[in-house]
Amino acid sequence: MSGIASILNTDLLVATIRLSTPITLAAIGATICERSGIVNIAMEGIMIIGAFFAAVAALYTGNPWIGLLAGVAAGGIFSLIHAVATITFHLDHVVSGAVMNILSFGIVRYLMVMIFGHPGTSDAIPVGLKAYQFAIPGLSKIPVLGPVFFDQTPIVYMSFVLVILTLIFLKKTKTGLHLRAAGEHPLALETIGVSVYKMRYLGVFISGLLSGLAGAYLSIENSISFTEGMANGRGFIALAAMISGGWSAIGSFVAALFFGFADAFQVRMQVFKVLNIPSEIFIIFPYVATVLAVAGLVRKSRPPKADGIDFIIEKEGA
Amino acid sequence: MSKMTKITVIMLVISMVFAGLIFANGGSETAPAAEKSKVIIGMATDVGGLGDKSFNDGSYQGLLDAKADFGIDARVVESKQQTDYVPNLSGLAEDGAQVVFAVGFLMGDALIEAAENHPDTSFAGIDIFVDPSKAPKNVEGLLFKEQESGYVAGVVAGLLTKKYASASDRLNDDNVVGMVLGMDIPPVERYQAGFYAGVKSVNPDCKVLSVVTGTFTDQAKGKEAALAMIEQGADIIFQIAGLTGLGAINAANEAGVAAIGVDVDQSGVAPDAVITSAIKGITRAVYLTIKADLEGTFEGGGNKVFGINEDTTGISPFNKWDSIVPGDVKAAVQKAIDDLKSGKVVAPASRKEAGYEG
Repeated sequence: MSGIASILNTDLLVATIRLSTPITLAAIGATICERSGIVNIAMEGIMIIGAFFAAVAALYTGNPWIGLLAGVAAGGIFSLIHAVATITFHLDHVVSGAVMNILSFGIVRYLMVMIFGHPGTSDAIPVGLKAYQFAIPGLSKIPVLGPVFFDQTPIVYMSFVLVILTLIFLKKTKTGLHLRAAGEHPLALETIGVSVYKMRYLGVFISGLLSGLAGAYLSIENSISFTEGMANGRGFIALAAMISGGWSAIGSFVAALFFGFADAFQVRMQVFKVLNIPSEIFIIFPYVATVLAVAGLVRKSRPPKADGIDFIIEKEGA
Repeated sequence: MSKMTKITVIMLVISMVFAGLIFANGGSETAPAAEKSKVIIGMATDVGGLGDKSFNDGSYQGLLDAKADFGIDARVVESKQQTDYVPNLSGLAEDGAQVVFAVGFLMGDALIEAAENHPDTSFAGIDIFVDPSKAPKNVEGLLFKEQESGYVAGVVAGLLTKKYASASDRLNDDNVVGMVLGMDIPPVERYQAGFYAGVKSVNPDCKVLSVVTGTFTDQAKGKEAALAMIEQGADIIFQIAGLTGLGAINAANEAGVAAIGVDVDQSGVAPDAVITSAIKGITRAVYLTIKADLEGTFEGGGNKVFGINEDTTGISPFNKWDSIVPGDVKAAVQKAIDDLKSGKVVAPASRKEAGYEG
């Protein structure tokens, strides 16, 4: 089994990071969203919107950083549809999320035809964020961990920072506490004079920004063009990562890394032909691993008490 | 509760309006109104859609060529998901199309169903095998000997990766080449088997790797698969994965190695990295089929196989690599083409025939 030994190298870990980054970003976003009490299954759709607008902006300005901002902004704005539907209009969260996913396909297909004259794939952007890969002096020289964590592309670094920021935001800040209260006991929060609606809007909006960033990663950092269907279920894997990560930033990050690892591992298993089994087995491996992880860990992980539960303020005289 | 229902309905309507706009746009792009006198030729693409710079675009070009030559009314409908296949094919037939093309292996069952429901319309399926014993008489499968294109591309890769590795900085001495596959379906396997045989015919010691990604739309997966092989010393990546493969070509370009495109000339994706492309004359096959139908020689109830003798398989020009590829390699390519044409060499059509444990 010398094959297995040669798979386990630094390249595998670098690939793990590459594959898990979009899932990490969407999963920590979803964590914030669900902690505020709004179920979000629309990450897939928001990711597609983010990827599309990032590519379009990068293409027309020639600057991938503007593309990045456009992707994040588009994700945030698009997510507001979910916020308005679920918070203001009290629509069922899952229904709204499902509609969001379908809507995103329609919007993107329509705009593709309008802008590029055809659906499918966009023109290639002149410069991608990959060009801004930089090694942090000193730290990148550490064996194994150096190339994995400290010689990366911009959005990958951002994802590391954002995991920590999310953790601090939820645990240590007053707004974070209020946001969590909106998901655990909204009535109590409203009683102390903090708007549950505001907190929930904030939760959905942050998750939109992060999913948009995940989309931008796919189209302008990992690739140099937008392709319809390029999210390929990553938004749903992020959902699984959030659940098996127990609705916490670190848990989501670890679960996303696990999925990325499973995917990177199966590709290398195919390259090395360690086992002579049909390729389909390899392809489903990361998904099976995710299902098992969710099934195995979900008993221990507890959703916020008021997650998915509508909150209506009874006004006097209404 | 009623408010919730109302909002749900409104959101669904919005999404349907968008879906409608897409459909309208796909149709109106090539179908100006009031062309009733013209013969209508319809085409339903696979989910990859137009703009894949590969399979669907190649088919569409055939339609455009026929439009230019015969003045037909060309109509295209794009499938967004697999459940669109039958409605799209039937819709074109009901619009009065004389021939309806289904683009892609995955549309096989839908094609037969649509053909059975519209016996007066001719149907042709690209990459679809039509079982002559069961199929209705108005449907024809258009198949290609992808293994021949793969074989010729394999000869190029086999020679460049070792013997002529000094020709470019993008090549190394490791004697490894790699393939990125989309879904493991017959046309993809034929390319794979042919490529393997082509490499081995000129370079028996070469290590030929391959990864199946299981998708035709995920660039990130294609990139990952290519990088995993590049890490192992692969200096030429042959992509057989549609849009997924754009990620593979991008990865090869970024990693400073070379790539071979598929179906159509993909040099434009990364001119410095793409040596050549294993082409499939879908454009020509579509054109010839329309021509045959207009001349009344359309033969249904079976399959038409396009190969190197019809000039529908082979490789594209070397483009930017033309000055890099040594004359000996070009001579070997010509010899491989001649051998395939004369039948002296038969490219294997499956991994089993090729003896490849992919």
